Amino acid sequence: MDDSIRKLIFTAIDGTISPEDFERLQDAIERSEEVRDEYLRAVSLCEDLAEIAGDQPVTDALSETQSPVRRPTSRNFRPDLFRLNPVHLAVAFMLLVTVGGVAYWFGQRHSVVPASPVAGSESRGEVPREAVIAGHATLRRSVDLKWSEGTTTWREGDVLPDGMLNFDEGVAEFDFFCGATLIVEGPASLNIESDWSVQVIEGRLRANVPPAARGFVVRAPGADIVDLGTEFALEVGDGDARVEVLDGEVELRGGEHDGQLLRTGEKQSLTDSGRPPQAIEGLSTIGELLRRRDDAEAERLSQWKVFAEHLARDRRLIAYYPMALASEGRIVRNAAGTGAERNGHIVGPVQQVPGRFGTASTGFDFERPGARVRTRIDGEFEAFTFVCWVRIDSLEHRYNALLMGDGYENGEPHWQIRDDGRLMFSVMVDDSKEVRHFSRLEQRVVTDAGLHRVYYTEPFWDITQSGQWFHLAAVYDPEGRTVAQYVNGREISRHEIADRFHTSTLRIGPAEIGNWGQPFRKTPEFAVRNLNGTIDELAIFGTPLDADEIASLYNEGRPLGY
Amino acid sequence: MNDDVEAVRQRRDERENRYNEFVGLLARHDQSIRRFIRSLLPSREGVDDVMQETALECWKKYDSFQPGHPDDATDEFIRWACVIARYKVLSWQRDRQRDRLVFRESVVSKLADEAIGHVQHRERQRQAVEACLDSLQVDDRRLVLSVHAPGQSVARLAAETGQQVRRLYSRVNALRKRLLDCVQQRLAGEVAHG
Repeated sequence: MDDSIRKLIFTAIDGTISPEDFERLQDAIERSEEVRDEYLRAVSLCEDLAEIAGDQPVTDALSETQSPVRRPTSRNFRPDLFRLNPVHLAVAFMLLVTVGGVAYWFGQRHSVVPASPVAGSESRGEVPREAVIAGHATLRRSVDLKWSEGTTTWREGDVLPDGMLNFDEGVAEFDFFCGATLIVEGPASLNIESDWSVQVIEGRLRANVPPAARGFVVRAPGADIVDLGTEFALEVGDGDARVEVLDGEVELRGGEHDGQLLRTGEKQSLTDSGRPPQAIEGLSTIGELLRRRDDAEAERLSQWKVFAEHLARDRRLIAYYPMALASEGRIVRNAAGTGAERNGHIVGPVQQVPGRFGTASTGFDFERPGARVRTRIDGEFEAFTFVCWVRIDSLEHRYNALLMGDGYENGEPHWQIRDDGRLMFSVMVDDSKEVRHFSRLEQRVVTDAGLHRVYYTEPFWDITQSGQWFHLAAVYDPEGRTVAQYVNGREISRHEIADRFHTSTLRIGPAEIGNWGQPFRKTPEFAVRNLNGTIDELAIFGTPLDADEIASLYNEGRPLGY
Repeated sequence: MNDDVEAVRQRRDERENRYNEFVGLLARHDQSIRRFIRSLLPSREGVDDVMQETALECWKKYDSFQPGHPDDATDEFIRWACVIARYKVLSWQRDRQRDRLVFRESVVSKLADEAIGHVQHRERQRQAVEACLDSLQVDDRRLVLSVHAPGQSVARLAAETGQQVRRLYSRVNALRKRLLDCVQQRLAGEVAHG
């Protein structure tokens, strides 16, 4: 590339180009593909540099000159957020124009965004960025909840951002971050506005407001209800809104009842003062919600137990650990026909915690680095399908283990989750080779001990899903030459197995669940890969299961509220 | 509920679904589309306007967006939106031709044909830039970032540091050239190894 053309390109990007040079540049762009390519790459580079520069505090650009250099105005500049705005505003505007009145819930799409460094901070150098997520409340518990068709659905434990919640049936308990709790019966339509405020368009609910949440506002047709402590009921529907104070005091604001105080036992119709206020009857209490939930959970558990017994008889199983069934001692029973030889053994501080069906079920928590379940599965296999139910609390290590062959020898599987939320599955092809390759994810040349390929999915997990149960599956099919990975019964990635990474002799041998054993290491140190989370079921098949079978395993094993 | 009301509700629900889908796609890809628009304009000026007009036009025309296969929806959406963006760039430039430097239409077309290929690699390219920046000396890295920081320019830096504009400029350009080569090598050197 001619250096003078390159210079033209940079002066154009910097906005310092003269009209004559601009003409020359345009001619060159038109004439030569090479110039076009160079120009586009240069624009892209400079845009990336601008984004990166805007992202981090840049200090002392020319420190050796000893001159005071003004710090770039990076304080309020968060490129990604900042730049999204005009579009979002535009789209929101369009929506108002074209589908006026329809709630838009752009805000319901979660994203974890890095916050800007502390404004005005004098700190220099690298400031670690803090993660933030958008949300005002959580869906704590639910029973028989049916989300309205076409609306966003949520699961228990989800953090809820502002926006609409619509469900046709069931009961849900929402905890607002300010401390207020709403138990809402469907059909209901709510609009979460903030930690302190919710609008009720339709539904029956009971609001409980502890002292810390005093001032919590429920906005209903006709008036805003400001809770001065502790509990009231509200029913909105059929063009009417009625409130009844069960205990404590509320104040009505706006409308014809502005300023009115209601105390324990008092009722008020908010929209039609002519109609005598009626008592709100049959509203669920927390106790009832809990009872109904326990009943439903017990039923769900017994259904799954039947299914687990049925599954245990599947002859394709290499091993099956239905840990959710309460276990005894330090043994993790292999329920498959392949027998006790393949039992797992608890090693280290594995905690037995409630499994995905609540307190009547068990899960194994591998939160601490020494925690692991060890097993030994001898033999050779033609294919693998790994399936498990896991609750991830955080991905605190670079690699977080699900099931790992010890060491990592020929034909052995590694199934784990990267800290950015990607599933990783790999099988060692030739452990005698040392392979250097450029890693796209690492952005550097890495040296791998052994020839293998790691099959990654796109990220499926971020911190907003902390504490939720997931059904994960990985299928390794040498004959069909594919590796498929699934989350909650849905395929999220499919890769072809290339010739050089093909191996048809699969083994497991000594292996660990929830951690990685490296008994052959030459140093006292070991890689920390324990899973900060809980596993309550894991099955290994010696054949490739298809998408329908994976979906059915997910459906049969779903916990309540999924 | 009577049938009319039900029909209205269904239509509304369909529209909501369609809208959610659209917002999802746009939010995921607006940085790529924005980068495409930036490539066709001589400077950053106008990018916001064109992006906004493109987003509105995409929503208006969204009914006509029918991806061949759901798996291809992502790629097809970017391509589809970039076609719209290309026309929006041309009409934006047409309105402003008199008061500033703008690319000729023939140049815009040729750039657009090529830029669409670049858009797909935006994420990889960004990672490569970060890695290449890391390979620079600390002072060089600071210098090249300062020049691109919001509100900064070579002329301003020169004025503030007392260095000659020309000397500073050639240093910055040498660094940018090195980065360009480094990024290209990295992208080319990638093997399909995951």
